[in-house]
Amino acid sequence: MSTEVALIGGAMSPLTKLMSEPSFDLVRTTIDAAIQDAGVDRAAVDCLAVTPPGMAGHNTSMFVSRLNAHMGLTLKSLACLENGGCSSALALRWAINEVRSGRCRVAVAVGADQRLQTLPEENESWETFLARNVFATMAIYGSYDGPYGLGAPIPYYAMSAQRYMHETGATAEDLAWAAVRLREHAHQHEHATFKGKRLSVDDVLSSKLLSPPLHLADCSQFVSGAAAVVVTSADVARSLERRPVWLRGFGQHHHPSSFTAGAESLTRFPAVQEAAQEAYAEAGIAAGDIDVAEVYGVFSSTELILTEDLGFFPRGQAGAAFREGRSTYGGDVVVDPSGGRLSLGHPACATPLIEVLEILLQLQERAGDRQVPGAEWGLVHAEHGMLNGSQVTVWQGDDQ
Amino acid sequence: MKDIIDQATVRAIEFNADGATRTFFERLRERRFQSTRCGACQQVAYPPRLFCAACGHGEVEWVDLPRRGTLHAFTTQHRSLRFFDPDVLGLVELAGVGFVLSKIDAELDALSIGQEVEVDYLEISGDLVVHQFRPV
Repeated sequence: MSTEVALIGGAMSPLTKLMSEPSFDLVRTTIDAAIQDAGVDRAAVDCLAVTPPGMAGHNTSMFVSRLNAHMGLTLKSLACLENGGCSSALALRWAINEVRSGRCRVAVAVGADQRLQTLPEENESWETFLARNVFATMAIYGSYDGPYGLGAPIPYYAMSAQRYMHETGATAEDLAWAAVRLREHAHQHEHATFKGKRLSVDDVLSSKLLSPPLHLADCSQFVSGAAAVVVTSADVARSLERRPVWLRGFGQHHHPSSFTAGAESLTRFPAVQEAAQEAYAEAGIAAGDIDVAEVYGVFSSTELILTEDLGFFPRGQAGAAFREGRSTYGGDVVVDPSGGRLSLGHPACATPLIEVLEILLQLQERAGDRQVPGAEWGLVHAEHGMLNGSQVTVWQGDDQ
Repeated sequence: MKDIIDQATVRAIEFNADGATRTFFERLRERRFQSTRCGACQQVAYPPRLFCAACGHGEVEWVDLPRRGTLHAFTTQHRSLRFFDPDVLGLVELAGVGFVLSKIDAELDALSIGQEVEVDYLEISGDLVVHQFRPV
């Protein structure tokens, strides 16, 4: 017997290039802002699920235990979840499951990512700094890919983009259109990294070629930031002023691969397709019913591929769909009204909850200038590896 | 600076290793390109493992990987900790095995998808030899 779960409120921090304040302060203020937005009593919170404070590998041991001692909450559930880009999506799942089971009634999920200086710390020698960076990147890319000196996942995605163009006939202009649409959306978001900075297809194509065919403007920018959301049982939700947003479908799938070794394709991702189908089936809807979506597209090419794997556009036609305006206001589905990873900014551990927050605001009709008129059904997608694993949630606005 | 990166890489390989990793790099130092094959289902794995991830069987043997494969995709990277521009990376598809990420010893402009490439060895330091591929 499962209980209905509602999303009630949430908050995000400003996004900054490097960590702007200590982890505890960033996480605590974001959690308290989410609780205040939801209109629940702080003492009523009985579940807290968090991510480690970033992928930089610092300050993570027993983080959640120390964090909650700092916050002073008395809880029935406390957990720290980590799986790369999916981390805060898993914190959300933990919160959902605790409410669904009936054990908890007011659960907070929070994700935070804090980027550190990319130069040696004070009093740190270059030798120690270099060795530390080698260890950090080798931990991500492993013993087989790591020795080739990968410092970022851009080459993997560049090869995915090259294959996508090769297999579907998509052009560099098609990829650029994804970046342009996201930039258009970002102008309406107060926290967008690239708010107010115009971007054209020519701008994308003339930006620095990082890893061909990907230009700088095809890539997202890593930033620091945090986001938190509050989920509650139906009875709690009905007692609050905010209109509930109901969880209708949940899907999660993990292919036995991480990055390219063991993968079947660089242009179609079974984890995305399977997670989406599971979520649509539970919700009893089809991809075409979704009004607004937030997807974990960290590169322009991935943005296109994701909208195909999620079923919004047919294989190989996402580029045309973005160019023709079918992914924006007045089109088939509004993809990433927040500006997405490319133009809002990408604090990886927090990104899935930034996406959830955007869908919450859209389905509560609180999204202001970027409101999708009449939005009823929303979708959130999160992933880890190179789309080797994915989570998809489907949400419905309240009709009362 | 190169010494520090090389030594840290070797230590990190050890730190992240499973039981098959050490053998894989030992074989590369001997200029052998090998991985593991399942004694039951015969699947050849990449990366190697001391069990079969496809069927769960517990016995594997070390076998030569195909020396030639096709270039599935390729690009360059700018911010490599190891190699300087132009640093061409590629994904090589080995028949019956799957994708292998490697360095491609060629100019980017000379490469095309589907091209046949052959394995070679690149000595990073005395302790570390990696595979690389170049067009046949």
